[in-house]
Amino acid sequence: MAVLIAGSAVRTCLGAGAETFDGLLRGVCGVSPLRYGDSGRLNVAYGYHAELAGEPFRAGRLLAECLTEAVAQSELDTATQRVAVLVGTGLRELSAVERLALTGEPVSAERLDFADVVAETLPGATYVTTIVNACSAGGHVLALAQDMLELGECDAVVVAAADAMTRSMLAMVGRVAETPTERVRPFDRERTGVLLGEGAAALVVVPESWEGPALGRVASTGLSCDAHHATAPDIEGIARAMSDAYTRADRAPSDVDVVVAHATGTALNDPVECEAMRKVVLGGGGNPLVTAVKGSTGHTSGSAALVNVDVALRIFASGEVPAVAGLTDPLDEGIGLRLVIGDTVAARPELVQVNSFGFGGVNAVTLLERV
Amino acid sequence: MTGRGRETRLLLTGWSLHLPGIEEFDGAPPEKAATVLGRKGMLYKEPATRLALCAVHRALGFEPGHRVSGPIETGTAVVACSNLGNVETVTKVTRAVEAEGGRGVSVLDAPNVSPNVVASTVALWFGFGGPNLMLCSGGTAGHAGLRMASLLLRSGRATRVVLVGAEPEDEIASILHDGPLRSGSACVILEPWHEKAGSLVVDVDPGEAAAPPRRTVGSGGFDVKERWGDFYGAHGVVELALAAHLAVAEGEGRVGIGPHRTDGGPAVSVTVTEPVGGAEMDPRTGPNA
Repeated sequence: MAVLIAGSAVRTCLGAGAETFDGLLRGVCGVSPLRYGDSGRLNVAYGYHAELAGEPFRAGRLLAECLTEAVAQSELDTATQRVAVLVGTGLRELSAVERLALTGEPVSAERLDFADVVAETLPGATYVTTIVNACSAGGHVLALAQDMLELGECDAVVVAAADAMTRSMLAMVGRVAETPTERVRPFDRERTGVLLGEGAAALVVVPESWEGPALGRVASTGLSCDAHHATAPDIEGIARAMSDAYTRADRAPSDVDVVVAHATGTALNDPVECEAMRKVVLGGGGNPLVTAVKGSTGHTSGSAALVNVDVALRIFASGEVPAVAGLTDPLDEGIGLRLVIGDTVAARPELVQVNSFGFGGVNAVTLLERV
Repeated sequence: MTGRGRETRLLLTGWSLHLPGIEEFDGAPPEKAATVLGRKGMLYKEPATRLALCAVHRALGFEPGHRVSGPIETGTAVVACSNLGNVETVTKVTRAVEAEGGRGVSVLDAPNVSPNVVASTVALWFGFGGPNLMLCSGGTAGHAGLRMASLLLRSGRATRVVLVGAEPEDEIASILHDGPLRSGSACVILEPWHEKAGSLVVDVDPGEAAAPPRRTVGSGGFDVKERWGDFYGAHGVVELALAAHLAVAEGEGRVGIGPHRTDGGPAVSVTVTEPVGGAEMDPRTGPNA
């Protein structure tokens, strides 16, 4: 059973959802000098920072903005409906632990997750839980939300995700870069690695019986775990998530018109993702346009999947597929894929696929339909 | 809604309590996890990850040192519950960068800066290719984990869920928790409910008409926090595994976890569908062990 999206809000370095999509269409790159930690020590010179004052609890504050906006847009009544809230995140508010470690600034464990933010922002919510699933957290909570609605456990699910940056993750980004990466270049032969982007997103997900307006339909989300390597992605694991999505939606790869790819600009992700798409999507008779946002927004970690869902909804509404910012010369593994390079492409897709893959081989692939 | 949707029962086919220092359920502390798991692969595994691996190993009934081989089990999901599993590494890495720059950091710690390392390492170690979830929801993470496990089974995303809770005890974790933490782990193996004599059934929403439990885990009964300490994110899974132990190994038959509901009944119950008379069982492991 498909479910509907009745509200969607995002925050990225480019702003809210409309501003982010406009930036994507114009090929804007939102990178700026790193504002967090010591860039020399971290070997990370740039980041994709959201416009938000102050350092503490940035993820939670971005999340609160998105929750408020998405729920208002949907006109969901959280006081009378049974509303569950599932928050996905990659790094929680672990930057607060880092401040504790460096300065002794006190923090309680309860503030590392987002239950307090949700309780303040959506006081009527009956159930809140935080799922920490690396860079595919948003895709995972969207999958679980659909399950909860299909099984009648609630009337609506607010699916949200948020991530800022941690010094410890930046240290790992810098540790594997020969020289500091200047910008994310998804699927490009000359890509030099990933940069983190701050971001948050919230979707209001409701059953098909919803009487209000809807932005799009979630046909399915396929989930898998590679069980292959601690950090490196695996074609077989990714392929299983894609196949699971098609099976659940009773769709074929040939039905997919556009893919909003994960595309982190790293040495490992991009070739593996291309190979998986060639194997499963092209191999299954599909030939979709392939776009990606991280050249503009950076890697928004746990929010990445839901940021991509918002972009997919705006592709439905606008009829325009943005080009991949930072991509000029595709990697060999991308040959044969219809990567959108240079200019936006006019299209009227019926089915859009959103890829998200995370540390630990956790994969979520979502199929969205036009309403 | 489908019949599967209304079903609130699950089969519990294995369990373990791996609680270092607690007599009846003692287990290897993190630094001695190799005695359970084998020596290879322990490098750069955090205490919470090691504890989680030990609990799963024992719930699956494996001999010490046994290593899984063979194809990935795509139908087996992992739901891991831990709030403070990687805070020590996050602290260590942050301080190392401050003191020495990035050169002071090992890339082998890369998986550990992401909190989902506990869930994904269980999948990697045992070859579980189904959905993989890491829950960090404070003291209720274990109960949320049971709900998510139930969801994965009823939605057909998995045919078996390994639900594991693990929490470390270190300086930074204790500061964050603002009170004493107890290090330990527990695991339960869950499958979709079907008629099976002698099996152990978890009901995640026992109706008012259900028979009252003979024993209770929680306040007013076997109070884990009072007797053993606060396992925090692992607490809910410890309670569930303990209820399974009491129901089977101590012959209680029906054990409630709670009371949490407004009518005073248990939020969750664990019941032996028929007496498992005469079965010889290791009290720390399940009937499949």
